[in-house]
Amino acid sequence: MQSQPIDFRHTLVAKHPERLSQIRYLLADSGLGLDNDITLFVEAWSGTQLVGCAGLAVNVIKCVAVNEQLRGENLSARLLAEVQNAALERGHFHLFLCTRPCNKERFARSGFWPIVRSGNNAVLMENTPQGIERYCRSLSRMRKCGEKIGAIVMNANPFTLGHRHLAEQAAMQCDALHLFVVREDASFFPFSARLGMVRAGVAHLPNVTVHEGSQYIISRATFPAYFLKETGKVQLAWSEIDVLIFRDFIAPALGITHRFIGSEPFCDITRQYNQTLHALLASRIEVVEMPRIKVTGNAISASEVRRLLKTQQFSRIREIVPDSTFAHLETHYRASAEVA
Amino acid sequence: MKIVREALAGTQESSDLMVKIAPAHGELEIVIHSEVIKQFGEQIRQVVNDTFRAMNVRQGLIIIEDKGALDCVIRARLQSALLRAADEQAINWGTLK
Repeated sequence: MQSQPIDFRHTLVAKHPERLSQIRYLLADSGLGLDNDITLFVEAWSGTQLVGCAGLAVNVIKCVAVNEQLRGENLSARLLAEVQNAALERGHFHLFLCTRPCNKERFARSGFWPIVRSGNNAVLMENTPQGIERYCRSLSRMRKCGEKIGAIVMNANPFTLGHRHLAEQAAMQCDALHLFVVREDASFFPFSARLGMVRAGVAHLPNVTVHEGSQYIISRATFPAYFLKETGKVQLAWSEIDVLIFRDFIAPALGITHRFIGSEPFCDITRQYNQTLHALLASRIEVVEMPRIKVTGNAISASEVRRLLKTQQFSRIREIVPDSTFAHLETHYRASAEVA
Repeated sequence: MKIVREALAGTQESSDLMVKIAPAHGELEIVIHSEVIKQFGEQIRQVVNDTFRAMNVRQGLIIIEDKGALDCVIRARLQSALLRAADEQAINWGTLK
C-alpha cells in the first residue's frame, strides 16, 4: 500500500454526519468508540479507502486510529500534525491527547508529553514539554504559609448556600484555603459569572484565595465525563486522571494538605469522583467530606437552583443561595414583567 | 522580531521537523527534541541559535521536534514558523540566508 499517496480531508461533524459511519468502522477496528463531543475529524484516504482518522474536541485530540495495513508508516504522526494545524486555525495551540498507555511511546515520538497515567486504562498527554510545570510554577507563587492548607474545587453553577457553607467550614479549619473555580465553559452559567458569584460569596473569608481553574482541573481534557455524563470504565479512568494531576502537581505546588468536598447525594459521576479522591489521595492528602446542609428538609444543590430558575421561582431560590448570588440571578435571569 | 501569536511549521515526516512557537514574556526558551540528538545535538542547537540570532528573536517559547532534518531544512522551518508568529509583515530577505 506504500505506492498509494495519502490524501487528507477535514470533516466537520455537524456538517457531514453521513461521513461518520466509515469513521465509526475504522475506530471499531482499533477497539475505539466514537466520542460525541468531537467536532472535527481529520481523515486520511488512500484511494477510495479511509485508512486513518483523528478527532478534535475543542482542544483535545481523541479517537485516533490507523488502518492495520498502514501501521509503521508514520501515518499517525501525519494525522497529528494535520490536527494540530486545524486546531491552531481554530485558536487552540495548547492541545491534549488521551490514549491508552500502550500507545504512549508512539505519541511521544510525535510531540506529545505524558502528564499522568491511570493504570492500564488511560494516559493524558499534552503537546508541550513544560505545560504542567509552567502552570505549577505560576501556582507556587500563590503559596501561603501554614500547617493546614486546604483546597476546594467547585463548579458553582451557580454558587449556593451549600458552597458557602463548605467554604466557611473549610476556611475555619485551615490556615489558608485555595478555592478553584472550574474554568470549562460547559455549564449553564458562564465561567466569568460563576467566578464572580464565588468571589462575592466568599469575600467575608480573609484566608481564602479564589483561583481561576485551568486546563488541569476538571476540564474537558482531564475529566470529559464530568461534562459528557458518560458511564462506566471511561469515567473512572478520567476521574483518576484528574485526581492524579491534583495529587502529583497542583497540591505539591501549593503545599495543600487537605481537600474538602461536599457529599454527593444526587449525581453519580460526582459521587464516584469523591470515591476516587478518597482512594488516591489516601495517606498523602486528607480528604474531608462534609454532609450537605439542608433547607426545609432537602439538601441544597445547584441543579435545584437551575430548575427553579427555569420556572422563575425566585422566592424559593432566595432560600438556598447567598444574597450576592441572588442579586446576580435577579438581574440576569428574572423575566421582565410584561408591559401592558 | 517579536513573537505575538502562536504558530506551527513543518511536519512529522522523516527528514523534516515540526516547529511550535508561542509568545512568552521576558525569556527565550528553546526545547529541542530530536531523534538524532545524540549524534547531531550540538550541530542542531547551533543552527537553531544562529537562526534566532540572525532574526533578532529575544523572547518566546519554541518547541522543536526534529525527525532528522538537514540544517537547511531546520533553518527554513524555523524561519517560516517565526514569520508566521511575528507581528512584522515585511520580510527582510537579507537576514534569511
